[in-house]
Amino acid sequence: MATEERTQEILEKLKNAVIEYDEDAAKEGAQEALDEGVKPNDAIFDGLVSGMQEVGKLFEAEEYFVPELLMCADALYAGLDILKPHVEQLDLGVKGSVVIGTVEGDVHDIGKNIVKMMFDVAGFNVYDLGRDVPLDQFVEEQLKTDSELVCLSAMMTTTMVGMQKVIEDLKKKNPDVKIMIGGAPVSGDIAEKWGADGYADDATNALADAINMVSSLKKMKEEAEAREKQK
Amino acid sequence: METMTSRERVLKLFKGEPTDRPVCFSGMGNATTEGLNKLGYKFAHVHLDAQQMAETAVTTPQLFGFDSCVLPFDLCVEAEAIGAQINTYPNSDDLLYPTIKEKVIHNEEEMEITIPEDLVTRGRIPLVKEAIGIARKTIGETVAIGSYLLGPFTLAGQIMELNDLLKLSFKKPDKVGKLLADLTCVIVAVAKEYEAAGVDYLTVREMGATSDVLSPRVFKSLILPHLKNIFEQLRVPSVLHICGKTNNIIVPMVESGATAISVDQKNDVVDTRKKLGDDALIFGNYDPYNVLVSGNPELVKETMRKCLEDGVSAVWPGCDIWPTVPPENFKAMMETMNG
Ligand code: B12
Repeated sequence: MATEERTQEILEKLKNAVIEYDEDAAKEGAQEALDEGVKPNDAIFDGLVSGMQEVGKLFEAEEYFVPELLMCADALYAGLDILKPHVEQLDLGVKGSVVIGTVEGDVHDIGKNIVKMMFDVAGFNVYDLGRDVPLDQFVEEQLKTDSELVCLSAMMTTTMVGMQKVIEDLKKKNPDVKIMIGGAPVSGDIAEKWGADGYADDATNALADAINMVSSLKKMKEEAEAREKQK
Repeated sequence: METMTSRERVLKLFKGEPTDRPVCFSGMGNATTEGLNKLGYKFAHVHLDAQQMAETAVTTPQLFGFDSCVLPFDLCVEAEAIGAQINTYPNSDDLLYPTIKEKVIHNEEEMEITIPEDLVTRGRIPLVKEAIGIARKTIGETVAIGSYLLGPFTLAGQIMELNDLLKLSFKKPDKVGKLLADLTCVIVAVAKEYEAAGVDYLTVREMGATSDVLSPRVFKSLILPHLKNIFEQLRVPSVLHICGKTNNIIVPMVESGATAISVDQKNDVVDTRKKLGDDALIFGNYDPYNVLVSGNPELVKETMRKCLEDGVSAVWPGCDIWPTVPPENFKAMMETMNG
């Protein structure tokens, strides 16, 4: 077991590796964490993710831009790949699956990729359909993977309308599924009007919202099961 | 009272001379559903037929008195000539813009591209040239005809994965620089063709380099030198367009050597005007969707007046004009120009 001091040192190393987009340092830190008995969960959340939060702040302050963000994400993934096999369940209270993609006719995927990363970090199973995704494919993939959540991204006002069709179709086939939409032209009002369950204007809010939705979904399921049992 | 033709107005504007009324035009796509319906053409088809492309482009000045006619309407022409494959969504009834289906560069090793010898006869470059000629024949010398090209960085993002390009801009700036230099040759070669076909002005759209995505530092070190190279070689008046956040790259944008710069609604034009002085040509900066399409005539007029008060040299949209613009909004915009 690592001493308290040594644990802090490893966590700090992981955090800085993400901030300084140093993939090698992230891998090294992750391996040290495993070798020296730092809990993988702590290494992920107090190390890697805590670094990413710092990166988020640098992004907001316009010190970092999209390329830096992408490189930080690579460092984070490098560490995550080593640590993930050693965690049974990420300790977020929920574990969910999400289908994500940019809708048909739209190739803007920078924002979608950032949102996706947040879900990866949080331990969701992410099914990324990419960009310019035929509308039917969202429905098919949701049914195939039985995901709790579907995330749709659109950056153009013309492609955004495709979301409405996907929402209708999904709700018809599976009323329980939660749907989140986002992208520059989308707003909370539009999300409500089209019957989406969530909207967020950036990746951090997207994750917080998603966790709430999936938690409430799980809770509903559990309650329903409990009621079944009582009968 | 209007005493000049649209073309005279635009040409004078570029020379820095006074015009009879504020100029209202664009250097980016401006096909309208109104025009398409009058002609009975489908949006998915007009990208592939010179006659249809020209006729569609011409309807915008004809129906609304817009000061320019611009073609093509999509951003794939140069990439296609280099070897990318495009999707025009021929079977969709929705209004979808063509996109790149298959890129040219799939990994870092493939970044050393060879520019095809016969570049300017490939893809739709001959088609766009022909369309420019047809448009000129149709509207004569009364309306300014413009076309556009992608900037080298944005074009690179069309022929390779943008995520990779962004990261390599840091990790392998030399490799990216070499690619941008190659693409600069492509852009200049295509620009020369459009000039020969008779365009009055050209816009270079470098939206991939907006400060929403890329730092001003990288813009200056990696992209600006190539933009300078392009503008040095253009003969007709030129515009550099970058959308999104641009206030902290406005000075390097001018240093690129373009005759005018174009910014969108995210730019604080009062501040830009202060920084650049009275003589700089600043085009902008209304939101083509949230004002022109989903606004009402009142909002349109108010916005146009605000653009002029803020100090733009010509009223011009932040991006392509959206096809579904309601005719009454387009008319309201043009009415504001006459006071
Ligand atoms: C880069 C870019 C491109 C690149 C895209 C490359 C790529 N792989 O993504 C290229 C050059 C290919 C391109 C092409 C076009 N573009 Co473009 N492009 C942009 C630009 C400059 C930046 C977008 C961006 O990446 N922003 C940065 C990211 C991080 O932000 P974001 O996407 O908003 O994502 C955040 C949030 O929205 C949210 N979010 C995003 N998705 C989701 C999903 C969920 C579920 C949730 C909860 C949250 C969420 O979280 C993200 C992270 O915080 C914008 C203008 C601008 N400055 O915004 C125009 C813009 C989006 N493009 C525009 C246009 C018009 C086009 C073209 C049609 C031009 C043409 N004539 O062909 C083509 C269309 C291509 C197509 N069919 O898709 C317009 C759209 C106008 C409109 N309202 O409809 C814009 C707004 C420019 C403008 N000023 O008008 N473009």
